[in-house]
Amino acid sequence: MPHKIEKYLPLTESTAYTLLALSEPLHGYGVMQKVEAMSQGTVKIGPGTLYGAFTTLESEGLIVKVGESDRRKTYALTDKGKAVIKEHIRRAVIMVENGTMTQGW
Amino acid sequence: MTTLKQFHWFWAWDDDKEEAWLRKMAQKGWHFKLVKLPGYYSFEQGEPRNDFYRLDFFIDSKAKADYVQLFLDAGWEYLGEMGSWQYFRKTALENETLEIYSDNESKSKKYQRILFFLVVFLPIYINSINILNKRQDTLSLILTFVMFAFMLLYGYSIIRLGMRVNQLKKKL
Repeated sequence: MPHKIEKYLPLTESTAYTLLALSEPLHGYGVMQKVEAMSQGTVKIGPGTLYGAFTTLESEGLIVKVGESDRRKTYALTDKGKAVIKEHIRRAVIMVENGTMTQGW
Repeated sequence: MTTLKQFHWFWAWDDDKEEAWLRKMAQKGWHFKLVKLPGYYSFEQGEPRNDFYRLDFFIDSKAKADYVQLFLDAGWEYLGEMGSWQYFRKTALENETLEIYSDNESKSKKYQRILFFLVVFLPIYINSINILNKRQDTLSLILTFVMFAFMLLYGYSIIRLGMRVNQLKKKL
């Protein structure tokens, strides 16, 4: 494995969705809107949470600033960020497969 | 316009009580206008409103404009700051709760930042007590006592903030 990604897992729901949203470059409010839409309203990220997530994800090298205008920074996933969200999703899929039984409850 | 001035103190680990108090004031028609250290509030009278007030702790002055912009984009009104406490407000629909931290994990980091802020200054206090201790005059004695009392409060604050962080992290 080129990156040590174990230490970042498991991601919180907000962080996982933030990374998924950044598959295309977006600024903060863009991430909030996209996450709410993608998650069908189940996940709404507050600005305090998102600001903290951006700071941490950037310092850990999972996302990178790709632009800035009118005090709004645009971020995108790095290769390391892609590897982390990919592994998180791989594990989530296993869990979903295990969880199909709950549909019969 | 009728204004009301009131002093209201809060501890860093109980900032949600301050938020609740500001919300209650708004429901009674008293709307936050201004706050000054160490807790002098001005309110303006108006129609009662279903507002949520949220306090954040932010110290990075260089990143402040970007930080505030994110809250504005998300529909929050920025009301100003008291020290490093940032005041935000947003009007809610009925039965809606508005948060700036959408999970406990990220909320616990707010209190970790305050803890960090306190711990950074700890060596300075310990040092000044040490220096004062070596002197014998009355003034130094009084100052040592004041510093000591301050240290106790300081230690208590660190413990309470640590408890708040744990409380937020523990939920399942």
